[in-house]
Amino acid sequence: MTVAVSAWRQVRGRVDQQADFGAGHRWLELRVTAELEPPDPGQFIQLLIPSHASGAFLPRPMSVASVRPLRDGLMLGFLYVPIGVGTHALAALPAGAEVEALGPLGRGFPLDRPGTPVLVAGGRGVAPLLFAAESLARLGRRFELLFGARDRAHLVGLDEARRRVAGRGRLHLSTDDGSAGIKGTVVEALDRLSPRPDHPMVIHACGPHAMLAAVARWAAERRVTAWVAMESVMACGTGVCRGCPLARSARGRAAFGSQPPSLLGNRDYAMCCTEGPVFDSRDLDWERIE
Amino acid sequence: MRAPSRKSREPKVDLSVRIGPMELRNPVLTASGTFGYGDEYAHVVPLPSLGGVITKTVTLEPRAGNPPQRIAETAGGMLNTIGLENVGLLRFRSEKLPRLRSLGAVIVASIGGETPGELERLLGALGGEPGIAGFEINFSCPNIARGGARYWAVPRRLERTLARLRPLTRGAILAKLSPDVTSVGDLAIACEQGGADAVTAVNTFVGMALDLARRSSKLSRATGGLSGPAIKPLALQRCCEAARAVRIPVIGSGGILSGLDALEFMAVGAAAVQVGTASFIRPRAALQVLEEMEAFLRERGVRRIDDWRGSAMPSGDAVDEDPGRKPGLRAVTIVRADRSPRNRRGVRSPAFSRGRESRRA
Ligand SMILES: Cc1cc2nc3c(=O)[nH]c(=O)nc-3n(C[C@H](O)[C@H](O)[C@H](O)COP(=O)(O)OP(=O)(O)OC[C@H]3O[C@@H](n4cnc5c(N)ncnc54)[C@H](O)[C@@H]3O)c2cc1C
Ligand SMILES: Cc1cc2nc3c(=O)[nH]c(=O)nc-3n(C[C@H](O)[C@H](O)[C@H](O)COP(=O)(O)O)c2cc1C
Ligand code: FES
Repeated sequence: MTVAVSAWRQVRGRVDQQADFGAGHRWLELRVTAELEPPDPGQFIQLLIPSHASGAFLPRPMSVASVRPLRDGLMLGFLYVPIGVGTHALAALPAGAEVEALGPLGRGFPLDRPGTPVLVAGGRGVAPLLFAAESLARLGRRFELLFGARDRAHLVGLDEARRRVAGRGRLHLSTDDGSAGIKGTVVEALDRLSPRPDHPMVIHACGPHAMLAAVARWAAERRVTAWVAMESVMACGTGVCRGCPLARSARGRAAFGSQPPSLLGNRDYAMCCTEGPVFDSRDLDWERIE
Repeated sequence: MRAPSRKSREPKVDLSVRIGPMELRNPVLTASGTFGYGDEYAHVVPLPSLGGVITKTVTLEPRAGNPPQRIAETAGGMLNTIGLENVGLLRFRSEKLPRLRSLGAVIVASIGGETPGELERLLGALGGEPGIAGFEINFSCPNIARGGARYWAVPRRLERTLARLRPLTRGAILAKLSPDVTSVGDLAIACEQGGADAVTAVNTFVGMALDLARRSSKLSRATGGLSGPAIKPLALQRCCEAARAVRIPVIGSGGILSGLDALEFMAVGAAAVQVGTASFIRPRAALQVLEEMEAFLRERGVRRIDDWRGSAMPSGDAVDEDPGRKPGLRAVTIVRADRSPRNRRGVRSPAFSRGRESRRA
C-alpha cells in the first residue's frame, strides 16, 4: 500500500531553442535547473507558460522526448503540435523565454520487462518513444520501432528515430497512403512481426486513441503485454485535483484490489497523471475511455 | 526561497490569527480539494509553516467521483466536476490522518454529508481525534446530486445542523458556503447562530462550458464549479458581505494567487484566507502568498495582521440595503428572499463595526 515518495519538483526552465519539425510540429529544447530529477521514458512534465505570453492558465502536460545532462542541469527535448491557446503560446516563445517545469511526473514505460521491446508510435506519439529508443540503445538492448502516420510528411522525427535505432533496433514504417514503408496502420505492421514463442515481445505504444485501442485489441488477442501511454485533460498533474480519471476494466479493478493507493486513483478510476500515463492496456476499460 | 538571516534583523510582522479555539501562526490555509490530504505536496511545502491544511472533503463512504471529463480550463480559471472523490471516513482516519499528523500540519478536516445525520456521524467519529484542530463543513459542493450547495442553502437547515454538530467537537467548526445563493450574509448569520466558529466564503461558482463540435458540455456533467482568478472579484464581494454580516471570523476563498490577492480579502474583513487552484499551477503557491503578504505588510510598517484586517471595509453600502433592517446596521444583502424573523436575529447592535474579531480573549 505504500506509494513511492514523490520526487517531482517545480523548477525554472529556459527555452534554449525551438524549431519547426515538419508537418506543423515543433521541437523544443528546454534548459532546466539541476533540482529536476532526470525523467524516465514515458514520464511527462507540466510546462507552465508565462501568463503574460499566454491566455493559458493551467500548465500543459508534455511527454519528454529526449534528455541530455548539462553541467548545471538538464536539456529536455519536447516534440509537440500547436493545437490551442497554450501550445500556440509555447510555439511563439523565443530562445531565452522562461517556462517553469514541474516533474518528472507519472510512471513511464517499464522497459526492463523481459522480452523484446516493440515500440509502437503513431504521429506525435513518437515523442516519448524516441526517448525510450534512446534509453534502450544506451543499455545495449535490441528493440523494434514501428512508426506510423498518415503520410511520409507526417512521420515527424523520422531522422531522429533512424539515429536512435542505428545498430540496435529495426525501424518499421507504415503510412496510410503508402508513401513510406508499408501501406496501412501500425497494427498491420505489428502483424508482420511474427511473435517468437521463445522470445516474447512487450509492446510500448503511444499515439492517437484509436491506434492505442487497436494495439490493445491486437495484444489481447495474442496474449502479448502492451503498455500504452494515455492522455487526459489535467490540472495539477500530481494526483491532487482528481481531474484526470481513466476507467478501469474488471481486470484493472481486480489487479488493484479494493483500496489502491489513493494517489493512484480508486477502484473505478485510475488517475492518468500518477498511475499513468503508461498503463497495461488490459487494465483500462476501452469502451469507457473516449 | 526564504532568507531567514535577513528577515530576522527586520521587525517581524505578527501574522497570528485566532479562529474560534484555533490559534494559527498565520492566516494562510490550503483550500479543500486543492491540496489532497496534505502529504502529496509535503515534499515541496513544509506544512508547519502554513496557517493550516484543509484536507479534501471526506464523506462517510468512499466516493469514486464523477466520470471524465472532470475539468475544463476557462478564461482565467477552471471548471471542475470532481464529484467529491475521496477515500471515505475509515481510510481517512487510519491512513491519512496519522501521516498528516506526523508532518506537523495544523489539520482542518473537511467533511461533507448529504444529510445532517451524516455530518453528525462523521463529526462523531472524528470530533475527538487528536491532532485535528478544526473541521470545515462543506455545505457547498456544486457537483453532487444530493447534499450539495443547493440543499444546504437554507438558513434554517444550516443553523439547526450546526447546532447539532456543535457539541460533538471542541475543535473549531468552519462552515463553508456557496456563493450561488440569494444572500451569503444571511447564510453566514445562520451559521453564526448555529454555533459555527467561522464561515468560509466561498466555494466555487456554478458554471458551464460547451464543446461546440459536440454541442454538449465539455464536462461529463452539464455544470461544474468555477475557480481561479476569474472568480476573485465575485468571491471578494461575497467575503465582504459575509464579514459585514457576522461577528465570527470569515475565511476568504476564491481566486487567490498572490499575497496581494490575500490582502484584499483581509482588507474587507477576512480573518484568514485559503489558497486553492493556485496550488495546481505552483504547488508552493500558499507559501508564496504568505511570503508576499508578510513582505507587503513589513514594507508598510504594519506590525500586526490584525491592524490590516477590515481596514478597507466599505462603510457606505454600494449594494442594496435591506429596507427591512434598521438603518445604520452593517449587515447588507443584495437581494432578499427570506424575510423570516429568524433572519433578523443576526442583526447586531450598530456599535459593532469593521469586521473586528469579537471572540478574541
Ligand atoms: C501525459 C501527456 C503527455 C502529452 N505529451 C504531448 C506531447 O509530447 N506532444 C504534444 O503535442 N502533446 C502532448 N500532450 C497533449 C498536450 O498536453 C495538449 O495538446 C495540450 O495540453 C493542449 O493545450 P492547448 O492550450 O494548446 O489546447 P487547448 O485545446 O486550448 O486546451 C484546452 C484544455 O484542454 C486540454 N487538452 C487539450 N487537448 C488535450 C490532450 N490531447 N491531452 C490532454 N489535455 C488536452 C488542455 O490541457 C487544456 O486544459 C500530452 C498530454 C498528456 C496528458
Ligand atoms: C478540483 C477542485 C476540487 C475541489 N474540491 C473541494 C472539496 O472537496 N471540498 C471543498 O469544500 N471545496 C473544494 N473545492 C473548492 C476550493 O476549496 C475553493 O473553495 C475554490 O476552488 C475557490 O478557490 P480558488 O479559486 O482559490 O480555487 C475544490 C476546487 C477545485 C478546483
Ligand atoms: S491532473 Fe490532477 S489528479 Fe491528475
